[in-house]
Amino acid sequence: MASPDIIELRDLGKVYDLGAVQVPALRGLDFVIEEGSYTAIMGPSGSGKSTLLNILGCLDRPTSGAYFLGGDDVAVMTDKELSQIRGTRIGFIFQSYNLIEQLDVVENVHLPLFYQGKDIKDCYDHCAKLAKKVGLGDRLDHRPMQLSGGQQQRVAVARALVNEPLMLLADEPTGNLDSSTEQEILDVLDELHHEGRTLVVVTHDDAVAGRAQRVIRLKDGLIDQDLRQVPTVDRTLSE
Amino acid sequence: MRGSSFLRVGQAGFKSLRLHKLRSMLTMLGMIIGVWAVITLVAIGEGASYDAQEAIKALGANNIIIRSMKPMEDKVQIQGEMQWVSHYGLTNADAARILKTVPGVKRVLPILIHRKNVLHGKRNVDCRLVGTYPHYPSFTQSRIVAGQFVNEIEEARRENSCVLSHDLAKKLFAGENPLMETVTVRGFESWQVFRVKGILEERTDLEKLPKNSNVMGKTLSSNVYIPLSTFKSLYGVKNIDLSVGSVSSEVVHLTEIRVEFGSVEEVIPAMDLIKDALDKGRNGKVDYEIQVPINELNTLRAQKARDTRLLMYIACISLLVGGIGIMNIMLATVTERTREIGVRRALGATRGDITLQFLVETLILCLIGGGIGVVGGWLFATFRHNIMHTTTIVTEWSVILAFGLSVSVGLVFGIYPARRAAQLDPIEALRHA
Ligand SMILES: Nc1ncnc2c1ncn2[C@@H]1O[C@H](COP(=O)(O)OP(=O)(O)OP(=O)(O)O)[C@@H](O)[C@H]1O
Ligand SMILES: [Mg+2]
Repeated sequence: MASPDIIELRDLGKVYDLGAVQVPALRGLDFVIEEGSYTAIMGPSGSGKSTLLNILGCLDRPTSGAYFLGGDDVAVMTDKELSQIRGTRIGFIFQSYNLIEQLDVVENVHLPLFYQGKDIKDCYDHCAKLAKKVGLGDRLDHRPMQLSGGQQQRVAVARALVNEPLMLLADEPTGNLDSSTEQEILDVLDELHHEGRTLVVVTHDDAVAGRAQRVIRLKDGLIDQDLRQVPTVDRTLSE
Repeated sequence: MRGSSFLRVGQAGFKSLRLHKLRSMLTMLGMIIGVWAVITLVAIGEGASYDAQEAIKALGANNIIIRSMKPMEDKVQIQGEMQWVSHYGLTNADAARILKTVPGVKRVLPILIHRKNVLHGKRNVDCRLVGTYPHYPSFTQSRIVAGQFVNEIEEARRENSCVLSHDLAKKLFAGENPLMETVTVRGFESWQVFRVKGILEERTDLEKLPKNSNVMGKTLSSNVYIPLSTFKSLYGVKNIDLSVGSVSSEVVHLTEIRVEFGSVEEVIPAMDLIKDALDKGRNGKVDYEIQVPINELNTLRAQKARDTRLLMYIACISLLVGGIGIMNIMLATVTERTREIGVRRALGATRGDITLQFLVETLILCLIGGGIGVVGGWLFATFRHNIMHTTTIVTEWSVILAFGLSVSVGLVFGIYPARRAAQLDPIEALRHA
C-alpha cells in the first residue's frame, strides 16, 4: 500500500503502577496503521485492548517504547498539546456513548469544536449536516435522555466526525446495542471507511471484526495474530 | 484558552446549572441570605442612626444644655412643717456669668418650665408652660408655623401672650384657627388667660431618638410658650407639684440654660470654663447637669462605627458559610460529573477549559445568588421605608461589599473544586461509573 502510516508503534509498553504491584498491560507492541485503513483489535478480556486504544487516542501515555502519530512523538507532548491532538486529529466513539446530558444533539456534536474556540452559531449547519448524515435530522434539539441507545451512538459518531479527524477510535461501539442497531452503526462506519477515513475498532464480536480489513489479536499484552482480510461488506458486494 | 470566550463558557455553565434547578437554587440560598442580610441589616442600622443623628443635630451641635437638677441631699431636708421645699438650680445670674466669662459663647437662652393644664372651650390638655426669651425659635431652630413668636415688647411689658406648640394647637383647637383666641392655663395657685400669638413647631423629633438615651430628658410635645418676665410675675419661681401624691414644692429660678457657641470646635474646650462659672458661689453643691449634643453625636458615631464593624463580621461569616456550602455542592458535582469531565477531556478540553468551566459555574451561582440578595434587600428596605415608614437607608457601600464578597467567595470557593476537576486523569475520569 502506498498510503502513509498514520500510526507507528515501536516496542510500546504500558505498566500500571498500583504501588504494591506493577500490572503490565502492554508488553512491547510493534506495528503500523496506514491512513484510510480499517483495523479491528480483538482479544480476550484483560488482554490490553482498551489500554492500547487509550494510548492511540492520546488519553494515556505509554510507559515504554514510542508512539508516533502522523509522525509526531506523543511521549514528549505536554498535556495541553495532547488535548489539542484529541480535539483536532482524533474522533472517539465509546461503548457507553458518553453524551453530555444537558446538551441537545447539535450541541453534543458541536462539543469538539467548542473546545477549538468555534461558536455554535458559526458551525451550526456543519453540525446539523453531520447529525442528518447519521440519520438524526428530525432529532436535532433532542436531549440524549430522549434518544434510544442506537440513536445516541449515532450522535457520538457524528460528534467524532465533526472536527474532521485523522482517525476514528471506537472501543466496543456496538457493545451495548442489539444486533439490528449494531448493523446500522457498522454500516455508518463502513460508509466512513469508504469516504477514506482511518478506523480502529476494539471489539469482542467476530461480526464487527469481519467488517475490517485487518484484525490484530492481542493476548496478555502482546500481539498474538495480525491478519489482513477482505471485509465482509466487500465480500457481499463482490458476490 | 484558545478563544473560547467567557460568554460561551458562561452559557455552557448556565445549561449545566439548569439541569438541576432545585439543587442550584438551594446552593444559591446561602449566598442569597448572606447578601440580603448584609444589605438589610446595614440599611436598618443606617436608618436608625440617621434618625438619631438628626435628632441630636436638631439640638444644635454647637449648643450645650445646662439643666437644673435636684441635688441628692436636698431630698431629705425638711423645710417648713407641712411641705418639702427645696431651693436649687440655675439662675439668671448663672446665665449672665456664662455669657460674660466663657469665651466663644455667642448667646444664652434661659428657660423656665412648669407643668400645667391648658384649657380652651371644653377641651383641656396637660402641657408644659415654657417661659423664655423672644429668640427661642432661632436658638432652637424651631419653625413658626403661623403667626409670630412673643417679642421683646411683650417680654418687657410682661404681657399675657403665648405661642402654642403645633401638637398642642391641634389637640386644643381641633382644626379651628387658634390665632388671637384665648387659652386658660390652670395651675395650683391661679388660672391665667393668654392670647395666642402663633404656632411653633419644634425641630426635634423626639420619638425617633434612640431608646435609653437621655438626650433630652422627657419633653412633652404640648407646650405653651410665654415671655419669661410674664412667667415670673405671674407664678414666681416656686413650683408646687401635686403629681407625686404628697404636696412638694421647690424653688427653681431657671429650668434650663441653653448656651450657643460660635462654632462646634469651641464647645468641648469651653466645658471646664462653663463648670467653673457655674460652680462659683455654689459651695460644691451640684444642682445642675450639662448635656453636650456634640459629645452625644460623637458617641453615636463611634457606636455606629462599632455596629457597622460587627455587621461586617456577621456578613463575612454568613457569606463564608454560604461559600462553604457552595464549595461542598461543587465538590459533589465534580464527583458526580467525573465522567462528563473525562468525555470533555477526550474531546479536546484542556485542564484550563475544565477549570474555567467549573469556576464559571460557581461564579454564576454566586452572581445570581448575590443579585437576588441585592434585589431582595433593596425591596425589603424600600418596603420598610415607604410602607412601614421606618427610616431605612440602603447604602451603596453595603451593596458593593455584599456583592463583591459574594463574587470573591465564589472565586475562592470555586477554585478548589474546579482545580480538582481539572486535575482528574482523562481515562480515570472516563472509567468512572
Ligand atoms: N487503571 C488500571 N489500573 C490497573 N490496572 C489496569 C487498569 N486498567 C487496566 N488494567 C489492567 O490492564 C490489563 C488490560 O486491561 P484492558 O482494560 O486494556 O483490557 P481489555 O482488553 O480492554 O479487556 P476487556 O475486553 O474486558 O475490556 C488488565 O489486566 C487490567 O486489569
Ligand atoms: Mg476494554
